[in-house]
Amino acid sequence: MKNGRGLSFSDIGADWKLALDPDNIFWGIIPRDNGEFILPDNLMDLYKKERKHLDTELYNFRFNADLNCIYIDPTDRCNANCPYCYIPSRLRKQGAQMTAEDMDKALAKIEEHFKNIKKKPVIVFHAAEPLLVKDMLFDAIKKYRKKFLFGIQTNALLLEKEDAEFIKKNRIGIGISLDAASADINNRSRVTAKGGGNFKKAVQALDWFNGYEGLNVICTVTKYNVDRLSELVKFLHKKKVPCVLLNPVRLTQRRAVNLKPDDMLFARNLIQAVETAMELSRKSGRQIVVGNFANVILAIISPAARRMMCDISPCGGGRTFLTVTADGSMVPCGEFISMKEFSGGNIFKTSISSAMSSKPFKKIRTRIVEKIDECNTCSFRHICGSPCPAEMHARGNIYQKAAFCEFYKEIIKYAFKIIAEDKVKYILREGSLSQMQYEYRY
Amino acid sequence: MIKTKKAEKKTAAKMNTISYHMKCAQTANGLTHFVMYGDVPKKKMPL
Repeated sequence: MKNGRGLSFSDIGADWKLALDPDNIFWGIIPRDNGEFILPDNLMDLYKKERKHLDTELYNFRFNADLNCIYIDPTDRCNANCPYCYIPSRLRKQGAQMTAEDMDKALAKIEEHFKNIKKKPVIVFHAAEPLLVKDMLFDAIKKYRKKFLFGIQTNALLLEKEDAEFIKKNRIGIGISLDAASADINNRSRVTAKGGGNFKKAVQALDWFNGYEGLNVICTVTKYNVDRLSELVKFLHKKKVPCVLLNPVRLTQRRAVNLKPDDMLFARNLIQAVETAMELSRKSGRQIVVGNFANVILAIISPAARRMMCDISPCGGGRTFLTVTADGSMVPCGEFISMKEFSGGNIFKTSISSAMSSKPFKKIRTRIVEKIDECNTCSFRHICGSPCPAEMHARGNIYQKAAFCEFYKEIIKYAFKIIAEDKVKYILREGSLSQMQYEYRY
Repeated sequence: MIKTKKAEKKTAAKMNTISYHMKCAQTANGLTHFVMYGDVPKKKMPL
């Protein structure tokens, strides 16, 4: 072992021992043999052979990945009042709203920024509620559909059947917010501004999308719904939803703190939801993927293939994506919307490149696990990435470990167990694995 | 007897050390089609 580098060892249940280099995610899962765990010599040979290549791959993924996605908040306003929202209620009631001209200016500027890039960048219309200005969004999509890949995140309150048809026809990614399989639980957290909740409209939207490949459901896990995740998976599978994200609530706003579920309870329930998803997928032949858990699996078997940029250090904020707020401000991530000090400039006045090289963006890009106490000695530091900087800044110190640290440890151990049991094929979307190839296999 | 042999085989397979690493080979946007916005395949995928 040189400079403290090498394999660390941890138990994965009673039957397996994990050997892991935390710095490049080389791993081996060793079975118990006559009561003992014996590290095979040729696994060490493989490690020595692959180490440099894995170091380089992870380094490039962390520090040399290009900007590829822009979130646009076309309005700060919202027709909902979710208790954990990271946008302050003042903004959601009276915040700015883009005009069609603003939107066109922003998209033209983004097009200009990416003009020499072969891959189409991704534009996601996001929080507060983008469908408050849906005509403007759909016009923009029609104009720029050959230039960008589009996605929309919505609470579905204003979604109509013809909107769903437009989204499907144009192959737009769509995320519907839904926290539970029953109206009474869902509507406690997905509250509309007028009272009530979005359950009825969200479920109607799922029926309209009818198994559309670009559909995913985003569930924010709080103490209200933490013990109902498996039930939600069953419900969504019946509705032919191909993917659900069971995301931990972000504690960026003070009022969200009281909604945080217990880490171990969340881990147990997420694992149960994943088991339910696997069983349903196997029995029915129609998959439902728990997206955030699939991302953990990817972080282990193909770290550079992971898609969700929260669970990587540094996170993707101000690096692989940024957010343009309704007043044109460019912030590393939507979580920073209320923190003026994190603005890297205004898209109507300054360039995207200048935002990318701005001090606040650099501050987020230099928030790495190596600088965080506990994370710097944790074996799983490059699998969870210790999110989230905005959340930790709001809690007083950006260099704190993840609010859900114990939750991540549990689900990462479970992910290694799934790999040991050769169940990865039930976790990732089928089309995913067929697009991947082994670089090495012990 | 056959059942026992099958079970033994299964146990033996389970007892091997596992290690592997994968790479995206072919994707729409340089990344895997697996979940998020903006990478909806133009042609229908099996669900």
